[in-house]
Amino acid sequence: MQNNVNATRMELLGLRKRVVLAGRGHHLLSEKRDEISRQLIKIARDIGPLRKMVEAELLETSRRFMLARATMEPEDTKAALEIATKKFSLAIKFTSIMSVKVPQLSKEMDGDIICYGFATTSGEMDVALLALERAFDNLIELAEKEKQAHLLATELQMTRRRVNVLEHVVIPELQETIKFIFSKLAEAERDNTSRLMKIADMIRA
Amino acid sequence: MTTIAEKSVLDFCLYPPVGEEDWRYAFASAQVKSLETFMLSKAVLQDMASASSFEEALDLLSASEYSSLQGKNLEQINEALLEKRKQVRSLFLDLAVDDGIAELLEARSDFANLRLALRRKLTENPIGVDYSEDGFVKALEFENVFEQENYSPLPIYMREAIEAAVLAYYQNKDIRQIDYAIDAEHFRYIIAKAIALKDDFLVGLFRMRADLTNIRTMLRLKYREAQELCGFVPGGYVDESVLKHCINLDYDSIRAMFFSTPYYELVEAGVNYLVSDKSFLKIEQQCDEHIGGYLSEGMMVTAGSQPVIAYLLLKESEIRKVRLILTAKKNLLDTKLILDRLGE
Repeated sequence: MQNNVNATRMELLGLRKRVVLAGRGHHLLSEKRDEISRQLIKIARDIGPLRKMVEAELLETSRRFMLARATMEPEDTKAALEIATKKFSLAIKFTSIMSVKVPQLSKEMDGDIICYGFATTSGEMDVALLALERAFDNLIELAEKEKQAHLLATELQMTRRRVNVLEHVVIPELQETIKFIFSKLAEAERDNTSRLMKIADMIRA
Repeated sequence: MTTIAEKSVLDFCLYPPVGEEDWRYAFASAQVKSLETFMLSKAVLQDMASASSFEEALDLLSASEYSSLQGKNLEQINEALLEKRKQVRSLFLDLAVDDGIAELLEARSDFANLRLALRRKLTENPIGVDYSEDGFVKALEFENVFEQENYSPLPIYMREAIEAAVLAYYQNKDIRQIDYAIDAEHFRYIIAKAIALKDDFLVGLFRMRADLTNIRTMLRLKYREAQELCGFVPGGYVDESVLKHCINLDYDSIRAMFFSTPYYELVEAGVNYLVSDKSFLKIEQQCDEHIGGYLSEGMMVTAGSQPVIAYLLLKESEIRKVRLILTAKKNLLDTKLILDRLGE
């Protein structure tokens, strides 16, 4: 940067303003980084147990479902499950956490999840589907929180990089340049002074 | 003297009578009795269930007629088991002297196909051609019949089932009503046909199956706390009103309601398991075992349709058990769960 800079007083004033601005930006971004970290830790704390619960519920559901499917005739399984009666819709709206747009999911479910008769189906299928229905709420909450965590983590990474760039690259470089221009201007000032003194000596002689 | 069709649940101790001998089935009975010796014993199935891995469970089948399953993956095994079931059904058709009996058991696939086709048709989905080939009506015929909405090529009992299912569906456009109507028509048909064939064994079997289906339905409705008390099938020994009354009782009282029936023990075991484990494995296992017991009694008839029918149904049950164990082992399910479903 020092090679391309014009060592002028205007430039020096401009750079000084930029250093102040960079310092203020650094301060604000540091605060943003800290707040995002706090929010992220809060969400991550909720995700751990929620994920375990959802995994356990889904494991139980799939275990029951496998048992049911293995005990039923394949054509009965196909007939029972091919056309579902449960209608499921998911609405997404966005809220802002530290100017990061994060999704909020809300579901609407209508109809009964048991979509078949009883004579040719296994009771375990009922248990599996009812367990799956119960797992939906937690599953959606988990998806929402994981997406929020993902978006916040990306934003945190970006903010941290910006803070680091300001702290370790932009501000030191600006200060170096200011120093360089200052020394150049001082040198030019000294040149000028010595030239004037020489001229004064010549006039006096 | 009351006929088997008119008997009430109090007229027998554990199983309804299996019927008389029929010497037209002498050869067929002898053949299935010899084939019965190749069936997997309970000990083999339990060893498979207790095996430490899928491969070990599969190894235990190496000395049986399922040895061809060795080295196959689960999908291939399922296909091979379906092929096996097809062979058993084909053998049954060859051995059945009465065409009526063969039609009666083929009707299971017809009703399964009908259920699938009607659900697709009434919900305006493509009819498709992926139907079971084991029925009286061939899979390809289903597409034409339902595309053209010309049901006349179908047998009368299927047309009646279609009419009942369509009427039931359009009452509140609930897809489950199709299944309820078809299940009811299925049981009505098989029991009426068995009575017409004067086959006491089949009448007893179907009426008992209607009871066991209704008991499971009652427990499933109770478990779901369902408001609509529907899905029961007609023709059982136990009156439907008793089963509907049971739904409003607590689990202890349900057992007492069956005290005077042959189903007391299975209801007790099934209800206890349902309360403790929130699962229907036990009641389903007990129902299978109860029917298995009746079929075993049928196998003891020297000559008649009973051993032939019993062999078909026992073999189908065995195939389901093999599929259950191998699926469970492949998916690392608990041995206890498998044993709970298979029975001790």
